[in-house]
Amino acid sequence: MTESALPPAAALTSTDVRAMRPLRRVVGVAAACAGVALIAPWLLDTYTLNILIRAIFFAMLALTVDVLWGYTGFLTFGQSAFFGAGAYAAALVFTHLGFSPGLAWLALGAALLAAAAIAVVTGWLSFYHGSTALYASVISLVLPIVMTQLLFSGGTFTGSSSGLTGYTAPDFSLEAWFRIAGCVLVLLTAGAWLFVRSDGGRVLAAIRDNETRCAYLGIDTARLKIVLLVGTAAIAGLAGFGYASFSGVVAPELAGFVFGTEVIIWVALGGRGTLVGPVLGALLIEWGSAYLSGSLPFIWKLFLGVAFVLVIVLLPQGLLPPLARLLRRPWARRQSGTDAAGTADTAVLVESPVRAAADRGTPVIELAGVAKHFGSLQVLSGIDFVAYRGELVSLIGPNGAGKTTLMRCMSDGAERSAGTVRIDGHDIAHAPPHACVRFGLGRKFQTANVFETLTVAECLRMARVRIDTPSLWRRSTTLALPPHALAVLKATELDRKLHVEAQHLSHGEQQALELAMVLALEPQVVLLDEPTAGLSLDERSRIGAVFTDLCVRFNLCLLLVEHDLDFVREISTRIVVLHQGRLALSGTVQEVVASELVQTIYAGSAGHD
Amino acid sequence: MTELLVREAALVLEGVSAGYGESMVLRGLRLTVPAGSVVALLGKNGMGKTTLLKAAMGFLPKREGRVAMAGVDITLFPAHRIARRAVSYTSQEQALFADLSIKDNLRLGVARDALLDERLAAIYAIFPFIEGRLAQRAGTLSGGEQKMLLVARALVARPSLMLVDEITEGLQPSVVDKVGAALRHERDRNGTAMLLVEQNVGFALAVADRFAVLKRGEIVLEGDTHDPGAAEAIRAQLRV
Repeated sequence: MTESALPPAAALTSTDVRAMRPLRRVVGVAAACAGVALIAPWLLDTYTLNILIRAIFFAMLALTVDVLWGYTGFLTFGQSAFFGAGAYAAALVFTHLGFSPGLAWLALGAALLAAAAIAVVTGWLSFYHGSTALYASVISLVLPIVMTQLLFSGGTFTGSSSGLTGYTAPDFSLEAWFRIAGCVLVLLTAGAWLFVRSDGGRVLAAIRDNETRCAYLGIDTARLKIVLLVGTAAIAGLAGFGYASFSGVVAPELAGFVFGTEVIIWVALGGRGTLVGPVLGALLIEWGSAYLSGSLPFIWKLFLGVAFVLVIVLLPQGLLPPLARLLRRPWARRQSGTDAAGTADTAVLVESPVRAAADRGTPVIELAGVAKHFGSLQVLSGIDFVAYRGELVSLIGPNGAGKTTLMRCMSDGAERSAGTVRIDGHDIAHAPPHACVRFGLGRKFQTANVFETLTVAECLRMARVRIDTPSLWRRSTTLALPPHALAVLKATELDRKLHVEAQHLSHGEQQALELAMVLALEPQVVLLDEPTAGLSLDERSRIGAVFTDLCVRFNLCLLLVEHDLDFVREISTRIVVLHQGRLALSGTVQEVVASELVQTIYAGSAGHD
Repeated sequence: MTELLVREAALVLEGVSAGYGESMVLRGLRLTVPAGSVVALLGKNGMGKTTLLKAAMGFLPKREGRVAMAGVDITLFPAHRIARRAVSYTSQEQALFADLSIKDNLRLGVARDALLDERLAAIYAIFPFIEGRLAQRAGTLSGGEQKMLLVARALVARPSLMLVDEITEGLQPSVVDKVGAALRHERDRNGTAMLLVEQNVGFALAVADRFAVLKRGEIVLEGDTHDPGAAEAIRAQLRV
């Protein structure tokens, strides 16, 4: 079926079909895998089944580590703690309350809840505003150590170092256990697969790439990461519950740091950021080491260690990606036509209507007595400044006058040392950047600040997360953007590069992309730090027209830091001069550019063209 | 056609193709920077200007073609070996050591500390702000000041060839003038050859001896900056 042959009315349904294609494929593959899980017990011996069922529960844990590490960039050694919490919650219920179907459900609830509750506290400690990735990893190291200590000191309640054994657990046959665990693993993997590829799941990659940019797109990254940790912890807890119920034994090592590190090895060996790789890694290594530890009791760990080092050195992406490439090659050519359309980001740009902004001429950003000092160094002092809707104010001044610092004070409540800032009537107080964005602020940085591994379309979608809540399981085939963001894309021809990863764009294109992202936020007031840097003359004048349009037609307020005086002269309604941390001058274009101050401290001969 | 291994050419690129992944950014490109002369490389966004510098400097492997500097074939040299041949590369990304002081950043540009002290006076004359703030951490400088420090670091090294990527971006007009004068001065006094990637046509024409316009990975126009029609010809190329 060729899409071009369809009449226009049917074209829409064909995009819907295309959107459903990945879903259908995942369902197909998952069904096949579940089928294998159902048939396998007839083909395998008891010993292998025993080992594989344990390995399946470990694989669920590996899956959560891959979502956190491979996709979100959070290297965690502590997922084992949640696995242990789930396992112990189940074992404690079975040991101290006995076993009944009702109690089994209680045990499951307790396992999920215990893991989630610990994750809430851990997440809050790891990701509070201002913490770093390293800090979060250190917390993840400490968590399993604390957990094992608690289990050790639990006396007869937790069984101390020997753990809990001999409790009655759900009495399924080995075959049934394998089928249940296998199907749950397939379901979890398929769900995770859809999630990480969905529009919502790509937010994780955005967080990994550039957390600052996320915050300035209005995304509360700390909260998202806590929610994600709680979700993955609950799945780890579920896996722990399954393990405890199946094996009838729990030991403190299950919650320990060594186990947590082992999971990292499975993920790295299997292929970080592939989901299927870590699952296969966990299954194969558990299965292999069970046999090796039987036949080669002393040196199998050495084998495993050597294999690990070899894979890290020779195949830094893990085993799965090169294997997948090998397998795909023979039939890739046959399929290429349809497949490319299905997997590539083929979002179609559409225009989203923009709310008409409120009255022209009302103040939209107000600064009173704003000051900033680093230690004894006074960078800004006594800044009083108001800008109105429909204004395009250019902020000029010598390098080092404090222009970027002033923009920072307007967009992050934690930055200034004194004074008040109001955005669209809201006092920003100590609000973090993502909250300032919600008041109606957009900020473009001085150096291009985008998501390197995301495509242009995905970068733009991140800017819309606040407005169009993304789906957690599918990809949208359209990308709705306000007209001014579309205008920037057209002016810089980025609309032809929607599928290109941002890191492969030129410097100027990245600048333009960031500008389009900021405008896609539908802000009321836009702070632009050198928006034309790296753009050619032609692009510059087209972007200038977009700016004028934003002020005239959409009543936005633009605040521009710019060195290109010709550009400034052409588009500004007002110019403000910042000199040595103070507002030295404010007036019309003619007044300011001709002033003696600007001529002596700032202007040059050649000008910028 | 130029000979590859001539001592009179500070930099020769001959039939160079390079790119990222599957996309080829430079396609059989030829360009010569004569010894002691300044060549401005202009072009619209995404045409491969930065890629050309990276390929010349050894940061990007070349799929085809050869690169020579002052008569030595450096096609397969890694970046640090190229840098040892008194070549400085001022990249567009802020390439300062943010946690080091201004002075330490400058010190990394020279072989011996004694040389640095000798050359600092000339730097103060161009960028007065540096004099009083030698101990300040480079990361705390404003964006424009960091750019100036990058230029200063390249100048104290007294290189024989400078590759400079959009140095005027983010600088106030009067500083742009000063940087231009400093580069000219460097060329006149030490015979430093330069390849300047620029968006600012006015600056490029004021500073450079020759210009080249890059389009879709190839040089489409070359000429003398003193030709009366140069500015018009360049702008016409940049428009389409």
